[in-house]
Amino acid sequence: MPSEPTAAAASTNGALSPTMDVAVKIWRVDPETGERALKTYEVEAPEWVTLLDVLDIIKDRVDGTLAYRKSCRMMICGSCGMRMDGAAVLACKTRMADIVAAGHVPVISPMGNLPIVKDLVVDMGPFWSKMRAMKPWLQPGYEEPPEGKEYHVSQERMNVIHKEALCINCGCCVSECNSMESDPDFLGPAALAKGMRFVGDARDGADVERLEEYNSEHGIWDCTRCYFCNERCPKGVDPRDAIAKLGAESIKHGIDRDMGAKHAKWFVKSAETTGWLRETELVPKTQGVVSSIMQIKFAMGLARRGKVPPPFPPHVAADVKEARALRDIVQQQGREGALGHVQGERALSYIEHHTTAGNRHAPEITPGEEPVNRDVGERP
Amino acid sequence: MSAATNGTALRKVAYYKGCLASLSAKELDTSTRALAPKVGLELDELESVTCCGAGDIHEAEPDYYLHLNARILAYGEATGSDTLMTVCNVCTLNLRQANHMLQNDEALLARVNANLEAVGVPPYSGAIEVKHLLWLIAEGEGYELLKQAAHKGLKGLRVAPFYGCQILRPSKLLGFEDPDRPWSLEAIIEACGGEVVDYPAKIKCCGFPIIQAREETALRELMQPIAQARDAGADAMVTPCPLCHLSLDAWQSKLNASERRENPRHEDFHMPILHLSQLIGVAAGLEASELKFKRHVVSVKPVLEKLEA
Ligand code: SF4
Ligand code: SF4
Ligand code: FES
Repeated sequence: MPSEPTAAAASTNGALSPTMDVAVKIWRVDPETGERALKTYEVEAPEWVTLLDVLDIIKDRVDGTLAYRKSCRMMICGSCGMRMDGAAVLACKTRMADIVAAGHVPVISPMGNLPIVKDLVVDMGPFWSKMRAMKPWLQPGYEEPPEGKEYHVSQERMNVIHKEALCINCGCCVSECNSMESDPDFLGPAALAKGMRFVGDARDGADVERLEEYNSEHGIWDCTRCYFCNERCPKGVDPRDAIAKLGAESIKHGIDRDMGAKHAKWFVKSAETTGWLRETELVPKTQGVVSSIMQIKFAMGLARRGKVPPPFPPHVAADVKEARALRDIVQQQGREGALGHVQGERALSYIEHHTTAGNRHAPEITPGEEPVNRDVGERP
Repeated sequence: MSAATNGTALRKVAYYKGCLASLSAKELDTSTRALAPKVGLELDELESVTCCGAGDIHEAEPDYYLHLNARILAYGEATGSDTLMTVCNVCTLNLRQANHMLQNDEALLARVNANLEAVGVPPYSGAIEVKHLLWLIAEGEGYELLKQAAHKGLKGLRVAPFYGCQILRPSKLLGFEDPDRPWSLEAIIEACGGEVVDYPAKIKCCGFPIIQAREETALRELMQPIAQARDAGADAMVTPCPLCHLSLDAWQSKLNASERRENPRHEDFHMPILHLSQLIGVAAGLEASELKFKRHVVSVKPVLEKLEA
């Protein structure tokens, strides 16, 4: 429980610094027996501690068998990903002072969507094999600079992969990925962001081949746009935006055989022709005529409820010619593909997420499973 | 000038209803219109706007997405209101994202404005804020009016809130509430006299964005909130997003069919799904012609019967 910072303890640099009492609950998992237990730990710690420091103190003074990963302690190595109250964080980036001040006892558990090895350690094997599948190395085929000269890449070209290059392979984005939870083979946010980092690299000679591969069944169009990855990434990579860039690059290169790509293109067509989504034609345009006929019973059920608005006469937005003319102008200006995504300050900068320390409830979390019921309705 | 339930003047907001409320989810539009004055809002509907692109144009042709949304923002600003009200998660994120890009980069705003002017759209200064109906009534004046408007109550109806994704995440573009511990729907359910049913998947995806391209994966996503809400004893679910509504309501039969194939003992879901404006509308005594429950695929009858009992 939070205490007034009265006690003084020797800090690591030898000076005296105020301390606080920190309590955390940790899901312990025994790999031999598979037994799980939620254990509470209370330690005295300097006010500046991070979650990782707290784990170090527990391991030092309370229970040497506690297992977790760490290395750099400074948000660089990507080792210390874990869940706090069901949300993936880097332990070394998470300061405890506000949480203690709020009187909250957080629940610490291993990251989701990866097998648990012991306590807070997950098997990163599936993560690395998806990374490898992206061929994360430069492939030759680009234009070589003249003998003795450097290869110049414009700032504009670098902007396209600026954020993707910040990835530290921690796996936080994967932990709550909704598509990966439902399709474990989904390449996922980290791997696809890595893919974009190479597709967008001016020195890489295999962008079209890469896009072809990333357009596979478990690739780009498997993403359900839940935005958990952007929310969780501690480095501002915004993997969902990287996936959108890959989608835009695919369509720019005419790689549009996937139903996801056809779906996306139909929205462009609708906006350009009627201004509004041509909803009823969306299914045949996405899935093709044959599979949409197989859906006919389902569609009839919807039609009875007015869920299938008749395509004729089309619902046309007033002044739709403006929207049409805009598309012509935009196409002439040529900011196609990923270039269109990296416009504006937002596209490049790392914006901190909004947080509400002090509004924390105490969900009890089972490792690798859903967080269970949270308290409801408390207003910040 | 017209007045709200408590006699105060109505707040005028530009209303962007989006594709779904114009098409398959007309019931969302009619119930929103009928509810608005009761919660202090006068809706100035934007007539000449297009689809926001639903994340699809953003993915396929990002620069076109930006211009389409800038055009919507420009017409919103031209109404003279400081607020553009949405009734869809996806519209909310798309418009707020474009707004953020334009508000924080003068050069970009200038280029987009030049293009807008070239086709006859009024220029956009960056002054309008995009807010979902939910945010306008979950706190402040709107919330106070809501409590008065919901005079009929919900008789302790057990309601499971379903937020969906793009009204919570990414929080740096949405930011109304803690994306992991949201409270706004709960506050509204309670203000209407319902009982909140809590369950973990309320902040997860309904599967809609990939329901056509990856049906199997999408249905597995859809399964979680419906199953958890039922297990927790919900009479109905409520959502602020018409796309979530479409997924939860219209695809529920497909979910049942696919579950039955995998598990012959599967007990079919019959979970009524309400739009936010309908849930409040019931408590505020809106007419059946405004609520339009007949347009739902899963019958809302059990809910109405419970309220009449
Ligand atoms: S947005 Fe896509 S990649 Fe990111 S977490 Fe959601 S499903 Fe996964
Ligand atoms: S994208 Fe972000 S969250 Fe995902 S592995 Fe890289 S740094 Fe970690
Ligand atoms: S220990 Fe290296 S990132 Fe946390």
